[in-house]
Amino acid sequence: MLTVSNLRKTFNVGTVNEVRALRGVSLELPEGAFLVILGGNGSGKSTLLNAVAGSFRLDAGEIHLAGQKVTRWPEHRRARLIGRVFQNPFTGTAPTMSIAENLALAARRGQRRKLGWALPRNLMDELRDRVSQLKMGLEDRLDNAIGTLSGGQRQALTLLMATWLKPALLLLDEHTAALDPKSADLVLRVTEEIITRHRLTTLMVTHSMQQAANLGDRIVIMHKGAVAYRFTGADKQRLGANDLLARFEDLRRREMLDETAAALLRETYL
Amino acid sequence: MTLFLGALTIGLILSLLALGIYISYRVFDVADITVDGSITFGAAICAVLIVKGTHPMLATLAAFGGGLAAGAVTGILQAKFKLNPLLSGILVMTSLYSVNLHVMGKSNVPLLTGRTFSTWAEQLGRAWFGKPEVNLLGWLISARDLVTLLLALGMVVTVCLALYWFFRTELGTAMRASGDNPQMIRALGVNVERYRILGLALSNGLVALSGALLAQYQGFADAQMGIGMVVWGLASVIIGESLIGSRSLGLAIYGAIAGSVLFRLLVAIALRWGLNPNDLKLVTALFVFAALVLPQWLQRRGKRET
Repeated sequence: MLTVSNLRKTFNVGTVNEVRALRGVSLELPEGAFLVILGGNGSGKSTLLNAVAGSFRLDAGEIHLAGQKVTRWPEHRRARLIGRVFQNPFTGTAPTMSIAENLALAARRGQRRKLGWALPRNLMDELRDRVSQLKMGLEDRLDNAIGTLSGGQRQALTLLMATWLKPALLLLDEHTAALDPKSADLVLRVTEEIITRHRLTTLMVTHSMQQAANLGDRIVIMHKGAVAYRFTGADKQRLGANDLLARFEDLRRREMLDETAAALLRETYL
Repeated sequence: MTLFLGALTIGLILSLLALGIYISYRVFDVADITVDGSITFGAAICAVLIVKGTHPMLATLAAFGGGLAAGAVTGILQAKFKLNPLLSGILVMTSLYSVNLHVMGKSNVPLLTGRTFSTWAEQLGRAWFGKPEVNLLGWLISARDLVTLLLALGMVVTVCLALYWFFRTELGTAMRASGDNPQMIRALGVNVERYRILGLALSNGLVALSGALLAQYQGFADAQMGIGMVVWGLASVIIGESLIGSRSLGLAIYGAIAGSVLFRLLVAIALRWGLNPNDLKLVTALFVFAALVLPQWLQRRGKRET
């Protein structure tokens, strides 16, 4: 479903703030797979997600999604194939508009919008039906402005909006990071339910090792803009949070050696 | 009484200006100075066409089209060339000054001879009421003034309904969202840049329409008539919001109109009480300042007392 080949991106080239965010990242995601991308701050995991979503142009590399070469497509064009949930609960919904209007916007994701009525009767019925499946009581408040909802409720709605029309790829960008533990649990439950029910191909970025261990059927650990470890299938299922922690310790230990010292040691002892 | 009617009529005509500014200022969060130029552009196009003998309806529609074009240019400067919104508005407004002079051929075009809405109003007044003056609740008012007011009211109501309908369509709802949360709507497949161009075009189209009607009402189009109009429109929108609130789309639209009418009435009263017309723009600015600051101040006082 998704093939990413040798992505490279450097921000602020040639200045003091230069950051080599992606240094030749490749990965492949078959249909129906659930990939978790784990990494510390500055590892490039969010940059990778943004690259797939089309938020910026890459320096090098190709992206193929659902059989189409989307490398040069602008973000709004890729939106036809991608459903996205952001880290910030405020980014995924329009605050001054009602719940119903937000969902109606999502119901036409990627489609041409014309002068038809935004909230026809049959859509309202469908809205009420699918929102009640979240079991959060929001189906009675469809005309309320989104601004009155809590972060957890907004993320749940954003998730619903991203998957209203089944996307080829679902992108989850640390979507529970800004929520309190109870809301985070709720949103994760809804996430798993929706992904399983619609058999969605998912890419989830997280910095929580617990989440990485519990969710998904494959995992990629990123470090400094490159892929450090990959695990799929049984290997992945066996991984617990402690194993992941051990991998991170490994990476950090490797980093403590200065480049030149490492080269010297390698020459002397190997 | 004539003063009252006049203020009401101009208030209604300029409410289209307020609606245009509502779109650019509240929906897209852009202070669009193009308005100063596009209102004159609308007036100029309409006046020149009417003097040439064109039907006033067509002339007014052409003015609307001119406004659409002006707004689109501002939008393109922002979207394609990534210019700052304020700056792109200023560039287009400044350019329009010269364009308007070319369109009019001189700096002032009087509408003494052509058919305008005002002449229609006079004819209709005579047809409906028979005599030149009408007795309304004890006051003697000119039939022509009354019919002009009714015509203006009719036009404003039509535009309002059209606008309300438009913003409830798929396209209109997406347009509102593109001003409210561009990041989200881009992830839902909307080309935010294109919508901004469309929105600014619509906004300036309404403003030019207002200019066309104003020219027909006051009997001339002048190259300077647009100066300071953006503050006028902002004042109307802000007053409307303070009084009526902006909780829903319908209330916001109604508020812009009510704000415009009320504001014009206040100005008429102030002038009647002896306000020096030279001070008008200063007083307007002070008024907008007060309308912006007062709600915050009252809120803070309310909190202190609880």
